[in-house]
Amino acid sequence: MNIAVCIKQVPDVPSIRIDKQRMTIIREGVESIINPLDCVALEAAVDLRDKEGGSVTVLSMGPPQSEEALREALAAGADRAILLTDPNFAGADTLATSHVLARAISKLEPFPDLVLCGSQTIDSDTGHVASQIAQELDLPQVCGVNEVHVEKDFLVVKRVSDRFLDTIRVSMPAVLAVSRELCVPSHIPFAHLERAFSERDVIRWGMDDLDLKPEEVGFKGSATWVARLHTPPAKRKGEILSGSPQILAGYLVKKLEAMGIIDEEDKKP
Amino acid sequence: MKKTRNRNSARGVWIFGDYRNYFQDRVTLQLISKGKELAQKLETEVTVIVLGDGIHQYAMEYVAHGADIIIAVNDSRLKEYQVETYAAVVAEIVEGYKPEILLGGATSFGRELFPRLAKRLNTGLSADCVALEIDPESGLLIQTTPAFGGEMLADVVTPNHRPQMATVHPGIFKERPHDSGIVGRVLYPEIDIRPDERVQLIRSRPHRTGKTNLEGADIVVAGGRGMGPKEAFEMLYELAELLGGEVGATRPAIRAGWADEERLLGQTGKTVKPKLLISLGTSGALQYTAGIQGAETIIAVNRDPNAPIFKMADLALEGDARSIIAALLEELRKRV
Repeated sequence: MNIAVCIKQVPDVPSIRIDKQRMTIIREGVESIINPLDCVALEAAVDLRDKEGGSVTVLSMGPPQSEEALREALAAGADRAILLTDPNFAGADTLATSHVLARAISKLEPFPDLVLCGSQTIDSDTGHVASQIAQELDLPQVCGVNEVHVEKDFLVVKRVSDRFLDTIRVSMPAVLAVSRELCVPSHIPFAHLERAFSERDVIRWGMDDLDLKPEEVGFKGSATWVARLHTPPAKRKGEILSGSPQILAGYLVKKLEAMGIIDEEDKKP
Repeated sequence: MKKTRNRNSARGVWIFGDYRNYFQDRVTLQLISKGKELAQKLETEVTVIVLGDGIHQYAMEYVAHGADIIIAVNDSRLKEYQVETYAAVVAEIVEGYKPEILLGGATSFGRELFPRLAKRLNTGLSADCVALEIDPESGLLIQTTPAFGGEMLADVVTPNHRPQMATVHPGIFKERPHDSGIVGRVLYPEIDIRPDERVQLIRSRPHRTGKTNLEGADIVVAGGRGMGPKEAFEMLYELAELLGGEVGATRPAIRAGWADEERLLGQTGKTVKPKLLISLGTSGALQYTAGIQGAETIIAVNRDPNAPIFKMADLALEGDARSIIAALLEELRKRV
């Protein structure tokens, strides 16, 4: 079973700070990580390969430094890593991103039986790319997958969708977007990381390797543009009160009484 | 922005009728209401496209909530929500009628269908919008969506492709009142339906994760990173019990394992509209605040006086959430 896994290197979002003057994010001091749900997809792919045989190819579109994420994926057990990088790829929306990823997958030999993606990334949170790869490659798709069983040439998968637990039979090749319930990524031993960073190769494909034109990729190939970035407007302007925990708890009690949530008479002597 | 209105003579505001979620989150009704507003500015009509088997009742509900036109594809082969087949059918109809705007709920199904559909139509899509407006100059749909983990908002436009597509989280817009006196047109287009046989739904069962009644709760106490570790977070359950409310959590708190996924509030979790929300140790990232902005009163407790959560709080308390909740519990335990 040959599996392709799409991963993205993302800034560790909780540590992001914003430069409010320039309306940009401050990347300095922010660690880059593999998108957490992509780690789940990668772990599932490695497990399936270990059980069923075959290979795991991990792909990522991004700037040259995304190579780190791919090396980490090799350390986690992937057989081959491909970095899709080209200055023309910059500024891509999901339409343009999925175009590059789908084209790269279509060039893999043999064509994968399964494409795995995380359901969404922590930086842009759209959850579009898996569905769009499936559409471009004309493959069936299931999103939010939390269980996978391999039968001969098809998969039986489970997912929760809008308060329904679905059990779905999907023939291969197929695209699955995984949820965090699918599995827990295992810890990568330091020795594996060391080997991946010193000895392993990361293949690089640019626009020409994928037979793509500048107008199909990156900003030019995107249908959506960001017209403006702004911070969320302040909705209410409550006064900020400070003091000891007892004083502040006292304010809370008064507020709860004023709202009729707790009753003053209830107070025991 | 140059004038790009009615590119390729696209016209009309369309909404995907996601009726499977009708009784829970009514997101289609909320979108019809917002769609009416957008359509008035564009001097056009609101159309709801609805696919399925036995969908007449939903079509009538959509009319009563303000839809001008219903495009109904009623066919037993569409009984199950299947993304490949639905994308093919909706795409065929959209290509025939060329709407200017196509909106859908960011339900699980909407999140699965809309990207596939956008790709099929070779157009853009913005996810989980928190606001939609028509730009008065260009006539473009301004799709406001959280960026960088919700720290900022991005105004996204789709200048050169049609339709302009967006998904919207349930609970963002208010539905219009039901009016059974409204008359709408229902169209039944002829469509060649070919179910995708590569995917078969073996079983679909209602899935109840929810022992919680977060969405219906009058009081919600929500904890974030500042309510850790787990032992401290546990205090929220006692507070919720004493106040007769429910516990909610932010993504970092859930990632840390202090609460179950079903308690997640915000963009990818639940939207709540309680009378009172007490937000403890949460900085106020937009992906969280998107889920609580409907609260009537918000009390926020945080160490950082510059925390964004204070900008949306009615009562802002600067201090350590754990110490304050401990003191509050002590006070409340004295009462019945």
